[in-house]
Amino acid sequence: MNLMAEILIQVIIAFLAGSLLLGLHRKIMARVQKRPGPPIVQHLIHSLKFFFKETAIPKTVSKVFYIGIVFILALIWIVGVIAGPVAHDSLLIIFGVYAVYKIVEHNSGSSSGSPYGKLSCVRAVLSAATELPLFAAIVFVYLIVGSMNIGEIIAYQSIHGALIFKIPLAALMFFMLIITKSPYSPFAITKDKVLISGFETEHFGFLRGFMLFSESIAWYVLLWVFLTIFFGPLNAVGYLIGMIAITFITGFINATTPILSPNHSVMTQITIGAICFFGTIIMIFSGVVV
Amino acid sequence: MNSQKTLCIILLAISTIAILACLVINFEAWIVYTVAIFGIPLWVLSLGLLTMAKPRPEDAEERVKEPFTGY
Repeated sequence: MNLMAEILIQVIIAFLAGSLLLGLHRKIMARVQKRPGPPIVQHLIHSLKFFFKETAIPKTVSKVFYIGIVFILALIWIVGVIAGPVAHDSLLIIFGVYAVYKIVEHNSGSSSGSPYGKLSCVRAVLSAATELPLFAAIVFVYLIVGSMNIGEIIAYQSIHGALIFKIPLAALMFFMLIITKSPYSPFAITKDKVLISGFETEHFGFLRGFMLFSESIAWYVLLWVFLTIFFGPLNAVGYLIGMIAITFITGFINATTPILSPNHSVMTQITIGAICFFGTIIMIFSGVVV
Repeated sequence: MNSQKTLCIILLAISTIAILACLVINFEAWIVYTVAIFGIPLWVLSLGLLTMAKPRPEDAEERVKEPFTGY
């Protein structure tokens, strides 16, 4: 197949699947809280609807920065789609994408003149300090497989079995990252409701629709990476079941857990991350992991 | 036609042509990746800036006023 056609198809799949999964996530949260909740397609409809909503650029924003940061948000997650589902390239690229994503959160907040955006921008630095170490779970994948290449990780698992059975604590670290990225997460300190919509507060209308587009792709890419590097070679049905299952689990967790204050959030993530990190090291060097 | 609209039309045309060219012609992988990484977000951005509704002239000033001016 033509490479550009493959990229376009994967981007469209990522957007549609990501939107529907986020819609499902919202529905699950609502049902757990005994509310009917919006339809599953609502997130997708919102994303498209915002493209036609009235949009104005506030006086206090830095205009080029304000629009440019939304462009960069989409750009980095398209890099994620290319490095992941399309090219099966290095995990380090995905790690880089996530690192830049945290910078985008920071800059998106600082580009607006709103104090809510600026507070969220400060919190983005705090959250980056804990989320990026959680992403370091890929180091253990490297120690076991001997490669960061996603294609080689899949090939390794097709021979030796899924990595989740070898390094479950590293998988838990990565899962913590997915919980953090999920909407209404207890660790979503950058989008805490005391900050209205956090770094997205000043981005409304079309720009918000464009951000929702990118965040749908981000959710899909993160789930895809998690399933691929810990659950071995999966077919389309396997990915679908896995993504729905993770969305269910995160929906239940987020529906029953309040958003933590920034210091509690950071300490909880660091504690769980440290336990999983040293636990995996002990497992590897004591010979539990062969 | 204001400058923003003109710029958006030009960028939309460039990104559409670049993406279509990569669909029709088999370029080297790095060229296709570059076009995809910059072209797809640019296409969505320029299309969105054209399709978004603008405030009525009498409301325009009110819309861009920021109720908060920072700390």
